[in-house]
Amino acid sequence: MVFRLDREYLLLLHFSLGIMVFLGIKTVITPPVAYKLQIIRSPFSDSDSLKMLGFEDCGKLLRLLSAGEDKTVEEIVAEFNSKFPRSLHFYACSALDFLTTDPKEKFLNPSQRLIAFAIIHQAYSSQHPSSNPFISKLVGAACDDVAEKCERAFVLLLLSSTSVNGREFLKQSAADYISNFDLSSQLQQQYCVKVQTEPCKSLLKDNTVKNIVPDPDVPLGCDSNSSEFDAEPGVTSKIGSGSREETLVGLMSSLSLDGLGPQWIRPLPPRLPVMDGELLWLNPDMNHELLWDYGMCADTSRAVAVRDLISKALKGPLVPVQQEQVLVELANDPKLVYHCGLSPKKLPDLVENNPMIAVEVLIKLVNSSEIKEYFTVLVNMEMSLHSMEVVNRLTTTIELPTMFLHTYISNCISACQGIKDRYMQNRLVRLVCVFLQSLIRNKIINVNDIFLEVQSFCIEFSRIREAAGLFRLLKTLD
Amino acid sequence: MDSPSASVALNTRDGSPSAAVGEDDGALFAEGLAKEAAVLFQSGKFADCLKILNQILQQKENDPKVCHNVAIVESLQDGCSDPRRLIKALEKIKEQSEELACASGEQEVSSNNGSEHTSSIRGNNTPRHPISSIVYNDELDTSVATFNIAVIWYHLHEYARSFSYLDTLYQTIEPIDEGTALRICLLLLDVALLSHNASRSSDVISYIERIFFASSPGNQADNGSSAHQQPLLVSKSTSLPNNLTLHDGSHHDSTPNDSLTRTLSEEALEDEPLPVLSSLDISGQNLQRPGIVSANDLQRIQPEGSISTADLRLKLHLYKVRFLLLTRNLKAAKREVKMAMNLARGKDYPLALYLKSQLEYARGNHRKAIKLLMASSNSIEMGISSMYYNDLGCIYYRLGKQHTSGVLFSKALSNSSAVRKEKSPNLLTLSQDKSLLITYNCGIQSLACGRPFHAARCFQMASLIFYNRPLLWLRIAECCLMALDKGLIKSSSASAISEVGVNVIGKGKWRQLALRYGPSNGHGIYVGINSSVKGDGRQPDLSMALAWQSLVNALYLLDSSEVFKADKAPVSEEKGLGEAPLSQSSNLKNATGGDSKAATVASGSCQANANGEAKEHKGGQNLAGTLANSVLDYEHIRMKENLMIRQAVLADLAFVELALGDPLKALSTARSLLELPDCSKMYIFLGTIYAAEALCLLNRPNEAAEHLLVYMPDGNNVKLPYSQEDCENWTVEKVSDTEESNGGTTPVVTPLSTADESLAPVFSSPEEARGLFCANFAANFALLGDFEQAQRFLTMAFSDIPNSPQAILTAIYVDIKCGDTHDALVKLRQHRGVRFVPGNLTLNGSC
Repeated sequence: MVFRLDREYLLLLHFSLGIMVFLGIKTVITPPVAYKLQIIRSPFSDSDSLKMLGFEDCGKLLRLLSAGEDKTVEEIVAEFNSKFPRSLHFYACSALDFLTTDPKEKFLNPSQRLIAFAIIHQAYSSQHPSSNPFISKLVGAACDDVAEKCERAFVLLLLSSTSVNGREFLKQSAADYISNFDLSSQLQQQYCVKVQTEPCKSLLKDNTVKNIVPDPDVPLGCDSNSSEFDAEPGVTSKIGSGSREETLVGLMSSLSLDGLGPQWIRPLPPRLPVMDGELLWLNPDMNHELLWDYGMCADTSRAVAVRDLISKALKGPLVPVQQEQVLVELANDPKLVYHCGLSPKKLPDLVENNPMIAVEVLIKLVNSSEIKEYFTVLVNMEMSLHSMEVVNRLTTTIELPTMFLHTYISNCISACQGIKDRYMQNRLVRLVCVFLQSLIRNKIINVNDIFLEVQSFCIEFSRIREAAGLFRLLKTLD
Repeated sequence: MDSPSASVALNTRDGSPSAAVGEDDGALFAEGLAKEAAVLFQSGKFADCLKILNQILQQKENDPKVCHNVAIVESLQDGCSDPRRLIKALEKIKEQSEELACASGEQEVSSNNGSEHTSSIRGNNTPRHPISSIVYNDELDTSVATFNIAVIWYHLHEYARSFSYLDTLYQTIEPIDEGTALRICLLLLDVALLSHNASRSSDVISYIERIFFASSPGNQADNGSSAHQQPLLVSKSTSLPNNLTLHDGSHHDSTPNDSLTRTLSEEALEDEPLPVLSSLDISGQNLQRPGIVSANDLQRIQPEGSISTADLRLKLHLYKVRFLLLTRNLKAAKREVKMAMNLARGKDYPLALYLKSQLEYARGNHRKAIKLLMASSNSIEMGISSMYYNDLGCIYYRLGKQHTSGVLFSKALSNSSAVRKEKSPNLLTLSQDKSLLITYNCGIQSLACGRPFHAARCFQMASLIFYNRPLLWLRIAECCLMALDKGLIKSSSASAISEVGVNVIGKGKWRQLALRYGPSNGHGIYVGINSSVKGDGRQPDLSMALAWQSLVNALYLLDSSEVFKADKAPVSEEKGLGEAPLSQSSNLKNATGGDSKAATVASGSCQANANGEAKEHKGGQNLAGTLANSVLDYEHIRMKENLMIRQAVLADLAFVELALGDPLKALSTARSLLELPDCSKMYIFLGTIYAAEALCLLNRPNEAAEHLLVYMPDGNNVKLPYSQEDCENWTVEKVSDTEESNGGTTPVVTPLSTADESLAPVFSSPEEARGLFCANFAANFALLGDFEQAQRFLTMAFSDIPNSPQAILTAIYVDIKCGDTHDALVKLRQHRGVRFVPGNLTLNGSC
């Protein structure tokens, strides 16, 4: 498995730490996660993740690996440290990590593999084991059932060694280590039968395989594994032969940290087509200029006078001259009605005292937003000759809401029924009848809407002539 | 006579509260000066005007109206160089007035008791008495100041602010005097149209019709062009009886028709005279319903400004055209344009021509639209020429000639900036500077031409005025996505694999093939890092993070507009039930007033009256109906468009969140996309794919498979995620008005309106979508370890998308997993999208 360097990787680190503790390896988890992150991220901050070792460095590394026959492991590690600057350690180690991924592969011979593990471990030995980005790799190698036993034991020794103690085994060459290897079966039991817990994985990323496909170029029918194709130095190459070193160098320099996984196609969402009217069409502007305020120092005396008269009109009938004045001023200035100090609450007083002014005012107010309130007040005020007169006049001048008229008529009828004084009742009934006739003849109301109510009213008061007349009118229309 | 508290209030207004007599004189003097100043103002002699104003100011220190006019004149004098300062000044004046009004209102309450008898003593003889005992005080009325603030915001293209001022004024427009009210209405109409507020526009249009044309005969539904010519002053004669009804009423006693009085008197009720009851008129003869606006009112309008009645009619027609264009009611718009053109006959009226051109543009008659624009360009002046080029640019864009349109837009821009430099600054030039609007068009064009960085720059500039439009933010995000697609920026979790490279390593038996793939060819930019790769520092910093932010903005705006609507809906409904029928019907009545009267005068018969009334009703309803229907239709269109935008935003957002490596958010975004009511099939497909990928990234491939199974209803066959038809329906249904109106007479005109859509890559074909689905389904199976199924779906995928690099990689992965390297090699060799690089090259390159 190839290592990923991202968030998942941190998780992996934690898991591997857990395993080490399990394995009885003394670890103290001191460096905070942020610190680790920094160490791991730093090689990547300025470079593409695909960028690895240069060709020359690969060669050097390869020579180090191949020196396992004569030099001690310790010497080789020291050489590695001197030849590779710290900044390259990570790349070198990931290259080695890559080459040692599969114990069955034959890129590296056993002693080379041991040296690779040693380098991977020792490159980070100065720091705490948990900050070694390849620690879980080493743990994995130690636990890999498929691997050679000597290899696993070697890795275990590596892991248990510290920078001070337990380094004796490094003082021999890798080849010697292999030939001398003899580990008791008890030790195997102790270290190797542990079940490794599955680290948290992102499936898309961690189900990857190596992005390398072997493509042996050998003549048909030949076994690509036979050693006859191994190129010998100095011998003219034949078809199908190739140098192992060359491949190793090439692999190292072209390896990618990203393995090959199943690829998910993420379609790019389409652009929204240009909407209707989204392209802005420009038209010449209407001219809007700053306005002069003509109200400046304007003569407001007439308005004040009207205001005063209206407030008087709420208290008693105005003399004809005054009434005339109000009406003329109201007619001259259509907006005056809004400034004359009237409110819906005051309307009943005005209706009772000066119905003519009330009519004019209401007509002027018909476009006002308050007109509904005025109507509501009018319909609910006490029934009187004056209120009826106002309503009647209004019906001939402006269109009143049908609901308003119906309510008003109902109120009229119930008012007639409610009066105890016979004389007053007769009077009111006659008025109501004339009023209704007027409404019906002028087609201001639809008879059908109020037919039943009015009919019963006529029958109730059939003794009164106007009621009988109204009844006849209803019948002719029926 | 004044109560002491009253004189305190006076103090601020008159400045000379000490002596009543001097006060009177002073006021008279000031009134004279004010008239003089007004005349000077109208003739544009601002310096002289200012002198007089200062004279007045000496008398009336701190009088808000004087201060207001001073501010206006001073500003006009220096060409409105600092409109924002003027706004501040006006705001301050407005505040002062309102404080004073408050104070006088309180005072009214406190001095109420005393005023009762004093007022009776005063009577008519003291007209100069300045006690203002009501909150509605003429002198403290701030409508003009408020209007002026709105005007300035309008010129600064701040329509939302302007609207808020105007709408407040409009709510209480009745008490405002006619001239100002009309101007408020017209400006509100402009602002509402510009901010796409169809319902308010239609309100104002019908209000203007009702109030300002109420007494003039003729109406819009009849063609009535003859009537329109009639000056409003004619109505003077008709309105006279209005004043006379009072006197008429008293005379009716004698007429035999007036039955009530007679009847009552027969019943011996003379002792109780009921003079007013004389109005009970049964004959119907006296049915006069005069218009609300009398001639006097209209005369009041005249001296203040230049709006003549005919002019107003024409203007209103043009506004209606704009309204109908906004609401896409093209047929009605055509009718209105015709009327407007009739009215404008003989006069050079560029707006009418532009509107007509816009109409033809909207109908897809691009050639005709161009012709009309050309005709108007005879009188090209600088301000207009930028509009001319811009509008031509729009037409060419719709014709599918993006590059031409780009040239035109930039020409419009350069003309516009030339205007800014040349003309002396005044408010008009401010509003004529449409460069930001043109810049938006430039952005659209650049985006269509595949220049994301330039487009983004344009949009970011246009965001100064369009910051509250979700579409703008979506476009910015689209710029980022386009840049990503083109490999100009890189996302942290790369998705786009452009090609598969194979490095050949080693020779002979050791030969190995290393697969390389990735989104970039090495010149990628990391997310959010302002790279130097792109050179000049003016490049907007496009990134997935920016895209995310923009999309979140767009979503927020979409949500808030819908919440606003939901809040508003019940209110407007209530209004609709309560107020509209009333005002509408009274509107009708009023309209009838004039006409029925004319009919009565002409024939003297009631029949004519009734006929006239019936006819009028019909006409009136037609107009009101058109407006209301247009508004309703428009709401519907807007809802549809918002849904489209929302789908696009959510899909983009899910994509961006995946690209940012946040599958959890991407999953919830994709789910909300899938949950949209009436979501189109294409976006459901995208949402499904994004959701499935997010689930895979979250290690839940089983759930991903469940998601994907939607497209395999029977578990065996893969159905097409959507049909070609669905794709075509998506591109907004175009108005097919063209054929109909041409009536076959001019079949040359071909609707090319969809040309631009075909250029833009909208959706991949249904087959490609199916292939994509298969490939992803296969990848999912591979993850689940079911390589057999994976292989099966890969085979299906290859029949639809044979060149997909991702599919081939998945296939190779599956082969390797199955240990079948031979098959993998065969696939690599056969696949067209794979590029082989000899190993030596690599070695040489790195040496």
